[in-house]
Parts: sequence; structure tokens; C-alpha cells
Amino acid sequence: MELLEKLRQAIERGHPNEAERLACTALDSRIDPLFIVDDAMMPAMRSVGERYKNDEADILRILAAARSVRICFELIEKRRLPFAQKHIGTIILGTIEGDLHDVGKNLVAIMFRSAGFRVVDLGVDISEKKFLKAVAETPDVSIVCISSLLSTTLPEMEQTVKALRRNDPKKRYRIMVGGGAVTRQAAEQMGADAYTENCVEAAEVAKTFIV
Amino acid sequence: MLTPKQNMLEVIRGGNPDRFVNQYEAVYLMFHPFMFASPLLQPGQENIKNAWGVTNTFPKGVPGAFPVHTPDKIVVQDIENWRDYVHAPSLKFTQDQWDMVKAQYDAVDGDQAFKAAFVAPGLFEQTHHLCEITNALMYYITDEDEMHDLIKYLTEWELELAEGICSNLHPDALFHHDDWGGLDSTFMSPAMFDEFLLEPYKEIYGYYHGHGVELVIHHSDSYAATLVPSMIEMGIDVWQGCMATNNIPELIRKYGGKISFMGGIENRAVDFEGWTDENCESVVRRICKECGNKYFIPCIAQGGPGSVYPGVYMSLANAIDKLNEEQYGIKAEESTRLPWQVLF
Repeated sequence: MELLEKLRQAIERGHPNEAERLACTALDSRIDPLFIVDDAMMPAMRSVGERYKNDEADILRILAAARSVRICFELIEKRRLPFAQKHIGTIILGTIEGDLHDVGKNLVAIMFRSAGFRVVDLGVDISEKKFLKAVAETPDVSIVCISSLLSTTLPEMEQTVKALRRNDPKKRYRIMVGGGAVTRQAAEQMGADAYTENCVEAAEVAKTFIV
Repeated sequence: MLTPKQNMLEVIRGGNPDRFVNQYEAVYLMFHPFMFASPLLQPGQENIKNAWGVTNTFPKGVPGAFPVHTPDKIVVQDIENWRDYVHAPSLKFTQDQWDMVKAQYDAVDGDQAFKAAFVAPGLFEQTHHLCEITNALMYYITDEDEMHDLIKYLTEWELELAEGICSNLHPDALFHHDDWGGLDSTFMSPAMFDEFLLEPYKEIYGYYHGHGVELVIHHSDSYAATLVPSMIEMGIDVWQGCMATNNIPELIRKYGGKISFMGGIENRAVDFEGWTDENCESVVRRICKECGNKYFIPCIAQGGPGSVYPGVYMSLANAIDKLNEEQYGIKAEESTRLPWQVLF
């Protein structure tokens, strides 16, 4: 459909105003929101993710595409349209206590959503207790993902990973870590199930935990 | 034996360096009066507005200060009317204020190290300090004209600062911050980077080069390999903060002679709780072996001498000294370098 193709392109180019206008037109034309999401919004984000992975897109382009998608979702919600997206799993995500950086975490959240996950984004400066509380309140959680940009917060991250591990003897969920302060070696030492270098890789690894 | 400064010049020119330059040993960071008018925060200082109106905070236990961007604290509330919100602070200082800083410059032995004027934040950083980072990035796409105008305004302010620095302090180097990327990607595509930042920086760095500054050292502790051609065009001599994720050996092969790379030692690889001398030495040995001592200066990636965890920076320095003795037969005690400057 030409309109959805234009919407997909607007999102890929990262033009939220144009994306909003096209999504609005699509909804006015009574196109099922599920088609808008599945045939335009999600393919656009997957495409941007692929380009990022191949070094053909930058942080700005992903953020702009993500914002365009968010605006489209808000539009669908604002019109109170029946819409049930299928999710392949649920991820709890947050930046560790002591760290207020959220750009990387937000990028990861978007790529998780584009891969079909429901994301419970706890925000920044999240303590061990808050992660444990979120896990308790989210029975269908499949993955807990913790981010950190500051090397000074690695001890808190390690403590949280260990607490989450103790809390989950039946291995109900996997634990992923990432962010500028984390290395593969540090992730292994703290006992995380996975470490990834970037948001696209994070979504790919997350999917392997579901299949 | 070359002085640290001579050795650094040999490294940059691809001449005959007699050892590795040891991190910041040949670059002495110097201040200017504006830094006293809008001082950097100390650990424990929280929610302090700087001269631009940006609220910064520096909680204890974190590596540095950062802007606070709760909705009420974002300076630019409406990008279309940014002029209503952004008011450049005055750069009019008394001669006494300049002279006080000049005395600090004069106290440094310029034969041993470059006297580098320290300027931060840069143009891109200032836009996101004023607007909040996600907003700023979006404005580069959605409000191009306003961002061009805002950058022009910031550039004019930087040029006025440059004029004051060059005419009063006469530095022979500039150490200029502006982070242009994350761990493995730039914030902008090279095309967009050129569209917004190339000409303004050509103007700023051109001014410094034309007024006695021999070396422009630009700090961006990030991935930015795709921006190197633009860095060269804007007049950067040394890119400090170059992370290992940039594939430094390849950058040296491609661009050595046009620009040099100072870094390769990412904080996350060495600067963490439980750090050890052994790990520092192993990282130093690996990066020095990979990159050699032409067009490359092994250095902690952070934008100034020091480390988050006390002792790490000097551990790296000791490891480089040890390597210089083993590889080049030059003992650290024979060096004429200035006492180590550790600022962070």
C-alpha cells in the first residue's frame, strides 16, 4: 500500500512530523492500526537497525526514527483504536542506580520493541530493590536488561545481577547487561547471561533467548 | 634525548621520536578567566547553574559533572524562539584577570610541554547542554535553520573567547572538548556533521592556528572514525580520546601524517573498582604494540589527565615509562618532563 510505504520511508528518514501526518491519513482512511504497525512502523525500525548494524546509520537517525514511531503509537492510542500487538516476550529494562544516562537505554528499548518485545522501561537510577520489585510484578518477564555508562556504577550492577540471579532459582528470566562502562569480561564476571556492544545486537541476542 | 614536547612533535610529524609520548606529559592544560567566571563543579556540588543557565550536578561517586535536564531545567524551552532563552555570557574580563592567568602560563616551561588552552564544552555539546540531548538531536533534523543559527551564535562566542585567549595568553596549543559519538557510533552521519559543524570549526580552529597555536588537540572519547576526514579539514592536529573501537591501527595507516591519534586506552578497560597495575600494563603493552609510536600517543581516553579511580592514570604512566625503557632504552628519571599534572 502506497501510504504505508510512504510512512515507512518517513520513519526511516526520521521525520516525525511527516510520519505523524501520514499515520493520521492512514487512520482516517480506516486502515487497521495493526497493519500500520506491522507493515510500516516495525519494518522501518528493523531497517534502521540493520543500517546501524552495518555502520550506515548513526545514533541521531535511530533516535529520530524511534521518536517517529513513538508519535505514531501515541496517535493510535489517542484515537482509542482497538489494537493488540502480539509480543514475543517481556523485557524489564533500566539504567542502574547512580547513573542518569538514558540515551543508550532508550535506543535499546526501541530496538527491543521493534523486535516484538513488550518493554517495561523502569527509567534511570534504578536500584537493586526496584529491579527485584519489577520482576515480582511482571510474571511474564523473560529478560532483565541493565544499562550503565559510568564505570563507578559497575559494583551496583554486579550486586543487582547477583540479587536477580538469587531471586530466580528456576531461571525464569535471563539477564543482559550493556552500556559504555561494561565490557564482555566484566559482564561474565558479574554473572550476566549476555553482554552486547550495541542496541541492534541486544535485540538479536534477546530473540535467541525466546526461541 | 628529546624533550617530551620535541618527542610529541616527532610523533605527530612522523619524524624520529625516541620513545612513546606518555599520555599528557607534553600537553599542559591551562585555564582562562571564563573558567573562573563559570567554574567546573567539584564532587558533591549539585544543581548549580552555569553562566549559560545550564544546571549541572556532580554527585559524589560519579566520574564527572553532567547537565540536569528535568523539564523545568532545560534552557531552550522552544527551539523556534531559542533567542529568548539562550544568552551568551560576557567575555569582558579586566586586564588583572587576564594577567593572573597569564602568570600561570608563564610558570610553565614551554620547552617541555605545550601550553594548551582548555576549552569546553564544544559547539555540539553546548547545543545538547542547552536543549537536552534527545531534543537537540531531533532539532538537527526537524529544525535545521534554528540549529544553524544557534551554532552560528555559539561560534561567534567561541571566536570572541579565542581572541581573548590568543591575544592575552599566547598558548601554543588548544585542548578543545566536543564529544561527537558513543562507544561504537557517531551521533550524526558524516554528511550532517559537515553540514552543521565543519565550517564553524574551520573558523574556530583556523583562528587559533592563525594566532600562534601550533597544535589543535580535539577531545572526543568516542567512536568517530568516519569523521576523521572532516577533522583533518577543520584543522585538528591530534584527536584525543580516540577509542580502540575506532580501529586505531587502520586510522594510522589511512590518515597518519595528516592527523595523530591520542588515546586507545578506554577507561572501561582499566579504570574500574578493583583495577590493578598488571591490567593497566597489559592494556598499555597491547595498544602500543598495535599502534607503534608514529602518529599515535598512548593515553587514557578521558578528556584530561587523571582517572576516575585514583592511581589508574599514574599506573598507566608507569607502564609506558617501563615500556620506553625496555623498547627504547630511555629511563624515566632521565626525562626532563614537568611534574605530572593530574586534574581529575
